Amino acid sequence: MSGALRNVADFDRAAAAGLRTLYPQRLKILVGSASCGVSLGAPDIEAAARRAIEEFRLDACVCRTGCIGFCAKEPLLDLVLPNGPRISYCHMTPQKTRALLEAYSKDCLKLELALCRFAGEEIVSTGEVHSYPSSPGPLQLIPERSKLDFYRRQKKVILRNCGSIDPRALDETIARGTYRGALRAMTRMTPEAVIDEVSVAGLRGRGGAAFPTGQKWRLAREASADVKYVVCNADEGEPGAYMDRTVLEGDPHAVIEGMLIGSFAIGAAEGFIYVRSEYPLAIEILEHAIDQAEKRGLLGKDIFGTGWSFHVTVRRGAGAYICGEETALIESLEGHSGEPRTRPPYPVTNGLWGKPTVVNNVKTWASVPPIITRGPAWYAGMGTRRTPGTTIFSLEGAVKNAGLVEVPFGISVRDLVYEIGGGLIGDRPLKGLQAGGASRGCLSPSVLDLAIDTEDRENATILMGTGGIIVLDDSACMVDMARFLVGFFLEESCGKCVPCREGTGQMFRILSRICEGHGTMADLALLERLAKSVKSAAVCGMGGMAPGAVLTTLSHFRGEFETHIQEKRCSAGVCRGLVAPGAFDGKFGRHAAKKAKG
Amino acid sequence: MTPGDGSGSAPIGSVLVLGGGIAGIQASLDLSAAGYRVFLVEESPTIGGGMARLDKTFPTGDCATCIISPKLVGAMRDYNIDVLTMADVTSLSGEAGRFVAEVRMRPRGVISSKCTGCGDCWTICPVRNNAEPPPPFRPDKPLSEADAARLGGILARHEGQPGNILPVLQEIQESYGYLPRFLLEHMACLWGLRPAELLRVGSFYDRFHFEPYGRHLVEICAGTSCHARGSGKLLEKLEKEIGVGAGETDKSRRFTLRTVRCLGLCALSPAMKINGQPFGRVDLDRVPEILEKFA
Repeated sequence: MSGALRNVADFDRAAAAGLRTLYPQRLKILVGSASCGVSLGAPDIEAAARRAIEEFRLDACVCRTGCIGFCAKEPLLDLVLPNGPRISYCHMTPQKTRALLEAYSKDCLKLELALCRFAGEEIVSTGEVHSYPSSPGPLQLIPERSKLDFYRRQKKVILRNCGSIDPRALDETIARGTYRGALRAMTRMTPEAVIDEVSVAGLRGRGGAAFPTGQKWRLAREASADVKYVVCNADEGEPGAYMDRTVLEGDPHAVIEGMLIGSFAIGAAEGFIYVRSEYPLAIEILEHAIDQAEKRGLLGKDIFGTGWSFHVTVRRGAGAYICGEETALIESLEGHSGEPRTRPPYPVTNGLWGKPTVVNNVKTWASVPPIITRGPAWYAGMGTRRTPGTTIFSLEGAVKNAGLVEVPFGISVRDLVYEIGGGLIGDRPLKGLQAGGASRGCLSPSVLDLAIDTEDRENATILMGTGGIIVLDDSACMVDMARFLVGFFLEESCGKCVPCREGTGQMFRILSRICEGHGTMADLALLERLAKSVKSAAVCGMGGMAPGAVLTTLSHFRGEFETHIQEKRCSAGVCRGLVAPGAFDGKFGRHAAKKAKG
Repeated sequence: MTPGDGSGSAPIGSVLVLGGGIAGIQASLDLSAAGYRVFLVEESPTIGGGMARLDKTFPTGDCATCIISPKLVGAMRDYNIDVLTMADVTSLSGEAGRFVAEVRMRPRGVISSKCTGCGDCWTICPVRNNAEPPPPFRPDKPLSEADAARLGGILARHEGQPGNILPVLQEIQESYGYLPRFLLEHMACLWGLRPAELLRVGSFYDRFHFEPYGRHLVEICAGTSCHARGSGKLLEKLEKEIGVGAGETDKSRRFTLRTVRCLGLCALSPAMKINGQPFGRVDLDRVPEILEKFA
């Protein structure tokens, strides 16, 4: 389909076309082809599916889709049955794919390979539900998706279309309500009303700092300047977080629509999306999406006949963690090395080329459109009073159901790890969590019953941060983890200010000393003193937070540091200079587990 | 230095220090403190040398002025030190312990006893006001025709766009496989930039490299999740298989091995990429089989 989209009638026509490819009247084979699928062989599976279609003369189409979040079960392949439900198959291989399609040609579905079936899919942007035709019989034996532990508590808003649509098909995303929010905002609302709705919904920045988005937009709107910019921060450098990649790879138009609404609200005619260069697939899909949106009049000049113009450019990062900091990102967009600026002035008044600039995270931009289409009350009804809405966590490490989960704020860590995550691999004991980004250090299991939120009130919550939750079992050494995390900051420090550049290096040296068995108790005191000085003296947020990795880990696991120093013993058997119990009795440690398996 | 043997005369208790930079000043102060008479000879109109022009000193980042200023004042006030500026040593004779030096001082054009440092002479200084700007930077050798066309094409695509340095460097690296230094020098020349500006941007970002990689680039994720799930073991295995350490290229230039901070495949750790193709949940025993696919 082509032709510009200018009004509701155009949208309805495109949506109808999209529905025809979303739910065709023949077998549809969906291959999860985001980076996680590709890394486990999705292209081979797709090729096998195409060969099988030829071989068994099936009336079927193959479609690549994004990630449904269940990375532990990758590679995933879904069958959307004509006049039947959608069934997900997990741990696929080319051989299994061929066998599955061969069985299908003989009217058998190989349900033993199935993960779950979809009874329906909520179209979040409009609130409608697409129900698949239900069929009685053996299909009822496979669990419905919402009955799985992994999905029961989830509420997909940001990931609303990931894993359901072909990210390269604009009509399919329109059939699921994308760009309706922009249409409503730009043709029936004033910019102030848009900002009010975002404020009332209580949306806060999802990048980690949780600044109220409506307030940020209002400040930029009120700043007087001839030119303003909107920027999407997709420089997801935080180790352990990959939700931005998944959104961009699965539903790029959600982000573009959010930016379009934002540009209208603050009065910016130009936007940039700054993506890490480590995400080539996301960049490719995003550029394709922008190209499509321009061709269909959703970007460019005179959008929806309103006279409003908006252009978006994709810029690639070049491998610098610090560029995830908004002022460093702005420096990088301007073509300099990414060294942070001192704030104030803040980017909302003096940003890109000194002009008012709104920098929001991928997840924040993608959260905006449903607020406009379904109203702020609907959005504010999810999550906690302090932080309404949903956010994405990436569960990984020693957890069974590793993957991306989108849940309303306020969920407890225990529910995340043991209910959604299904507990630890091999039911090993939980030793700690590395949650919310490298600067948050490692937390002990004492935090399990705390809720996750954006603000820390009387230690009753743990901070969301960047949303990565790495589950550590007893094969992890916390001194080694602290050393690793500080090493990360040492490597990524831009070198502009002395406390961060030299301080992280000294902390790394002290921790290395402890790991090698040469630590003294005085080192611990020195480490703490040094961490506190770096924290108070560094120029930017990264330097200020880097010592957190040491301080938090030390406060939660002081005993383990002391055993390393006084008894020269590493209970996990990670630190090579020290005595590892696993070396003798074969009961503990990573090596021991391997041995037991083999 | 050994005292002379023949003449039998005692060594002279004065020392000539040549060069009034921070080293010369410090040497003079130390000698004076040890009781020697010092003649500090400096070619330029002032002592202080290179350090007086610096803001900070490497590697400690200490303030340069704070270090040198007290020493400048000290050297000028010290009764044991005679500072001879605008002076050249024209001849040196004698032997260790008993030298005779001839120092020629050039005229200053200002009566230094009357100078108050008001700076008025600066505005009418014929030398300074007619000074020629330094010649613009010119690369050593000209570009070959093919390179000139290739670079010209890349530059033309980005000419005039604000903030275009990063995209241009990325495109050069894609085209050449690395950032050739001579190309950056020519680019700086064409766009009226200083080469240092480009080198600074190029060296800041981890993805840019000034040396070519091997035929295949192996990137191991060193993110937190991968670290907790054994990326260290994976790196060791790859180092053993390929025979080089992280950040190096093997002799046959088949593989370059490097670590990268998080590939975003955290739920599939340990993860790696070869030539951009991602591999998740890498089993150590499968490593040789994977590498074999990349000849």
